[in-house]
Amino acid sequence: MTIVSILRWPTPNGLPSPPLVASLCAVLTTMWLTAPLVEVDFVRLLGSLGKMAAFAGQLFVEPDWAYLPQLLVKMLETIEMTFLATMIAVVVSLPLGLLAARNATPHVLVYRLTRDLLSLMRALPELVWALVFVSAVGLGPLPGVMALAFVTIGFMGKFFAEAIEVIDHKPVEGVRAHGAGWLQVRMFAMLPQALPDFVGTVMYILDHNLRAATILGLVGAGGIGYDLVMSMRLFQYDRLLLIALAIYLVVTLLDRLSDLLRSRIIHGARA
Amino acid sequence: MSTISIESVTKRFPNGFEALKGISTDIAAGSFTVILGPSGAGKSTLLRLLNGLETPSDGSVTIDGETLEKATLRKMRSSVAMVFQQFNLVERLSVVTNVLTGRLAHRSWVGSVFYLFRNEDMDIAQETLARVGLTDKAWSRVDKLSGGQQQRVGIARALAQRPKVILADEPVASLDPVASEEIMGLLREICDRDGITVVVNLHQVDLARRFADRIIGMNSGKIVFDGSPKHMTQSVMRTIYQREDIEDDNSLDLALAYA
Ligand SMILES: Nc1ncnc2c1ncn2[C@@H]1O[C@H](COP(=O)(O)OP(=O)(O)OP(=O)(O)O)[C@@H](O)[C@H]1O
Ligand SMILES: [Mg+2]
Repeated sequence: MTIVSILRWPTPNGLPSPPLVASLCAVLTTMWLTAPLVEVDFVRLLGSLGKMAAFAGQLFVEPDWAYLPQLLVKMLETIEMTFLATMIAVVVSLPLGLLAARNATPHVLVYRLTRDLLSLMRALPELVWALVFVSAVGLGPLPGVMALAFVTIGFMGKFFAEAIEVIDHKPVEGVRAHGAGWLQVRMFAMLPQALPDFVGTVMYILDHNLRAATILGLVGAGGIGYDLVMSMRLFQYDRLLLIALAIYLVVTLLDRLSDLLRSRIIHGARA
Repeated sequence: MSTISIESVTKRFPNGFEALKGISTDIAAGSFTVILGPSGAGKSTLLRLLNGLETPSDGSVTIDGETLEKATLRKMRSSVAMVFQQFNLVERLSVVTNVLTGRLAHRSWVGSVFYLFRNEDMDIAQETLARVGLTDKAWSRVDKLSGGQQQRVGIARALAQRPKVILADEPVASLDPVASEEIMGLLREICDRDGITVVVNLHQVDLARRFADRIIGMNSGKIVFDGSPKHMTQSVMRTIYQREDIEDDNSLDLALAYA
C-alpha cells in the first residue's frame, strides 16, 4: 500500500481544490520571478553581518544623561501626538465604519463610496501625508497629528466595518423586533458586539501610531523623530541609545495597558 | 374585536420556495394560541410575518385594525413583542440594558446615541425584571446567565415594551423540562393577568395541550387543524405531523404516542 492510497484531503475526490492549488502556484511563481528585482540577495545579507555587529558594538556607550530632560519633553510630545491622533481617528472612523459595513450601511452606494474614501486615506504612508500637511500648515506637531489621524481613519474605518460585518445577526433581529429605529439598532445591537474587536484594533493602532509618530520628526512634523535622525547622522550613539530605550519602554508599557484593557472588555469588568 | 387578522397570506422566498400557501385566520385579543407542526411547516415564517421581520408575498396582516406595511412597521412593532428560541439578546450588555432595549420603540434616536434612557424606563425595566424573578441579576452580563434565565430576560424585554401582543418562536426549545414549564407558566400568567395576546410556536404537544386556549396545526405551509386542545385527538395529530416520506403509519403513531 502506498502513502497515496491511505492519505486524502476532505474533498469529494480526495485531491486539494484546483483553485487553491492554482493560486498558490501563481503566488510562488510571482515571488520567484520578482525576487531579483528587489535585490534580495542572501550572500550579501550574510556578508553584511560583520558591519551590523560593529554598529551594535558602538551602542555600548555611557548614555548622555544631560540629554534626558529634552528627551522627556520630546517623548511626551510624541505620546501626545499619538493619543490625540488616535482619538480623533476613533471618533471619525466609528460612523465611517458603520457606513462601510455591508450589514449596517444605509445603501450599497454609500458603502462603496465610504470604502473608496477609506482606501484613499490609507493609500499613502503617514510620512507622505506629513509632507503634504507640513507644506500646508507649517512645521510642528500639528501636521504630524493631522497626518497620523488621516491614515489611521483610513485603517480604523476599514477594521471597524469588518468587525461589524462579522457580528451575530440574532441580537440585531431581537432588538429590531422590539421596534428600535435604524440608529438604535446600530447603537444597541451592533456596536456592543463589535466592541472587543474595536478595542483590539485601537490598541494595535496606538502601538503602530507611536512608532509612526517617532518617524514624523524626520520631515519636521514634531516628536522625537528629529532627534533620533540627527543623533544617527552625527554619530551621537550616547543619545541614540537613550532614545531607542525610551521608545522601547513606551511601546512595552502600551502593550501591557492594551492587555489589561482588552481582558476587561472581553470578560467584563472585575471578571 | 380581533387583535390579529391574517388574510390569505402567502410567503414565497427569493429561491422560489413557498413556505406559506394561503393562510387565513383571526387571533382574538387576550387569547393564548399555540402553533404546532413538523419542522419546515412554516411556523417561524408565520410568526415573523406578524412582526414584520418577513413581508408577505400575497395577502395582508392586520393588527388592531392597522395593516402591517413598511410605513407602519416601527409603530406596529412597538406593540408587538417577540421572544426567540435563541433568546436573541445582546450578550455583551447587562441584563437591565437588554430589558431597556424593549423601550427603544418609544424613544427617539437622540438619547440612544449616548445610551441614555429616562428614569421612567428604568422603573419599567426593574418592574419587569421583578416580574420574571431576576431582580438580583439586573447588573450581570447576559452571557453569564443560564438558558432559562436568559429566556426570562427575553420575556422581561418583551414586557418592558408594554406590548399588546407577544409572539414566541419555540421559547423553550433549548431549555430543560423544569425551565420550560416555568417559561410557559410565565407566558400564560402574562396572558391572563395583563390581557396580552400570546402566540407561541411549540414542538411539545403536551405543553400545548396544557397551556393553550387554542391550537393551530400547520403542515407544509397550510393550516390543517384549528381548535381547542380537547379536540386534539390522535388522528388530528397524525394529520398535523404527517410526512410524505413516512409511508408506514405505525412509525408515525409510535413517535406520537410519546408526544
Ligand atoms: N430565508 C429563507 N429562504 C428560503 N427558504 C426559507 C427561508 N426561511 C425559511 N425557509 C424555508 O421555509 C420553510 C418553513 O420554514 P420555517 O422556519 O417557517 O419552519 P418551521 O415550521 O418554523 O420549522 P421548525 O419547526 O424547524 O422551526 C422551510 O422549508 C425552510 O427551509
Ligand atoms: Mg421554526
